[in-house]
Amino acid sequence: MIDGHWYPKGSALCLHATLTVNDLGRYAIEVEDGTIFRGDVSFLSISARLGNIERKITLENDSTFTTLDNNAIDLLFKDTEKVNAFIHHLETHGKSIFMALIITFFTGFSFFKWGVPYISKKIAHVLPYQTNELISAGSMTFLDKYLFDESNITKDKQDKIREHFKKVLAPLSFNDDTNLHYKIHFRSWEMDGEKIPNALALPSGDIILTDQFIELSSNQEEIDSVILHEMGHVVHRHSLEMLIEGTFITVAVMMISGDGSGVGDMGVGLGSALISSSYSRRHESEADVYAFNKMLIAKIDPASFSAIMNRMTEYMNMNDNDMNKTLNDSEIMDYFSSHPNTKERVKLANHYSECFKEGLTVCK
Amino acid sequence: MEALRFNGSGSEYFKIWIVNILLTIITLGLYYPWAKVRTRRYFYGNTTLSNRNFEYHATGKQLFVGFLIAMIFFIIYSFLGQVNPPLALSFLMIFLVALPWLIWRSLMFNMKVTSFSNVHFSFKGTLGRSYMIFLGYPLLFFIFISLIGMIVSIMIPSLGRSSFMPIVAILLGMGIFTGYLFLIAFLKKNSTEYLMNGSRYGQGKFLTKVETKQFVILLLKSIGLSIVPVAIVSFFAQFMIHSSLLSNAEFTFILIYFIMIFMMMFVMAFYVTREREYVYKNTIFDDKISFSSTLKARSLAWVMLSNFFLIVVTLGFAFPWAKVRVAKLMLANTLVETDNGFDEYLSQKEAEQSALGEQIGDAFDVDVGVAL
Repeated sequence: MIDGHWYPKGSALCLHATLTVNDLGRYAIEVEDGTIFRGDVSFLSISARLGNIERKITLENDSTFTTLDNNAIDLLFKDTEKVNAFIHHLETHGKSIFMALIITFFTGFSFFKWGVPYISKKIAHVLPYQTNELISAGSMTFLDKYLFDESNITKDKQDKIREHFKKVLAPLSFNDDTNLHYKIHFRSWEMDGEKIPNALALPSGDIILTDQFIELSSNQEEIDSVILHEMGHVVHRHSLEMLIEGTFITVAVMMISGDGSGVGDMGVGLGSALISSSYSRRHESEADVYAFNKMLIAKIDPASFSAIMNRMTEYMNMNDNDMNKTLNDSEIMDYFSSHPNTKERVKLANHYSECFKEGLTVCK
Repeated sequence: MEALRFNGSGSEYFKIWIVNILLTIITLGLYYPWAKVRTRRYFYGNTTLSNRNFEYHATGKQLFVGFLIAMIFFIIYSFLGQVNPPLALSFLMIFLVALPWLIWRSLMFNMKVTSFSNVHFSFKGTLGRSYMIFLGYPLLFFIFISLIGMIVSIMIPSLGRSSFMPIVAILLGMGIFTGYLFLIAFLKKNSTEYLMNGSRYGQGKFLTKVETKQFVILLLKSIGLSIVPVAIVSFFAQFMIHSSLLSNAEFTFILIYFIMIFMMMFVMAFYVTREREYVYKNTIFDDKISFSSTLKARSLAWVMLSNFFLIVVTLGFAFPWAKVRVAKLMLANTLVETDNGFDEYLSQKEAEQSALGEQIGDAFDVDVGVAL
């Protein structure tokens, strides 16, 4: 005998009732007011089991019998819906929960670690070249308006660098993408009275060198190494990749937290920031490797890259104290940084430099 | 007065949640609507009042088409947002025009598929009213503001560099702020009444009467309260930057991010609890059943804060416990007058509806802005 309640069709009137089923598959529902409903169990429809929420059995006359005695119901009636029985089985067995946990964890991890970058890379390279121009349209005007000032580098020096680029560096990228046309720009970039040494690349192939960068560089090879690094970004279509990765993260985050009560949403912001800075670090390393390989071909010592990188970092840290340096080199901060640890980059540069000294053009 | 109860548990929901995620992964996301139905059924089914429970009746199949459309729109939107923000903005504009319709559909659908003690809810609010509240009033306000802006910009040359200028600017700024505050309060009042007064349980009607003035006071209090965290954070930020103890920009940023979150949680908890208390107090069902909220800002802030930590520390795996904790707290602090019982209520006949509005609205996180 199963204890429960009985409701008339579409009514909130709630009466105590009991359900019994005999060996012949006939049921009897006895309501407290004396009414008895009898019939064949095959005419009852039973709601699907979920956790321990109240089970609802709908009779032929659309009145309902409800009970919290889920186990008794499961014993009496085989779950009519095979799919639900299977899902409920998954939900109640330690082994499958454990498996689900492991699978979820590793799928989630691999999805963000490898899946998103891989798919984004594929999509970025499948899209027509025009997409690059589409996404950089207006960027130069925007940067000029809000960030950059006119360069103070003499016309003579600018022409010399451009000439050198055309003769030495541009030929290196002939096999990359026939649509690519690089253009070198010189700009001055100041923030809070501090001149910023940097180099940027737009997806369209526009490479911007700041005055302070040119000033810090001690020779042509150092300038070349940085330009090659930027070319690496362009060839690998990193900007486009970032856009697609960003879209993936947004959609994934929506699917994960969309169901939430808004509590977890705030942690999600931090999480996605962590993930995207990890992608950006990967892009930097890729651009580095591109630059090093081209440098070997062009007979430029990859050590010049670490030389200029070190000088730029030192320049930026000039006003900072030791405390900051330890923080900068600490492993925790690595996760939040959009650039790979300088130590790692220098190590790789040195490795390539050794190949260079041995006269190799390919380095493992 | 009797409190609602939540009978589920974090560990039980965890199992349902993890299987939902597993199946969503395996089906490359297609299982999502079914997962959502399971979650809703679990939460509704475990919510009881006088030993009678709620029920969620929608099926995964009903939600599926809407889900697909919503996903496609959402993907287009988030891609556009990264590639071409102005274009994404115009895309959003189209969405805003459709929003009142989505809210209306969503309310009708969700009410209809919800029942308590075997009797269904329904929603009788009109589409026209939805357009008025969620599009008409805001639009009128912004047209009004732009008109003032135009008049002022015409007047500026004649004022010239006179000493009036700063006063005019300050007055204008204050005027816009006050106007905006009133707009928000006015919309809160109207959306709350729209939702509540349109709702039916069986043949019974809900009746809510709230005043714009009370929302203005509440908003002002919350703004006052949120000035405190901003002041504290900017003080610390100054301190951290100038002491050169922690001049690392990223580290400072993360620290500020956390402090800001904690402080804002308190303000949010304050606002939510007070609004809830006010709306419940002024709501009556079928002329005889009254409501009240006993939720304290302190307890809500504590649950939110500890949940945030739990979720961050466990990389999201504590989410089910967090969700159950919120449900338990909210329901335990929702009181309903149950002396008359519910036996007399009967489900009303309803026309069939599609779930299109519901899922599209969900994907874009439509929030009617009522604390329930």
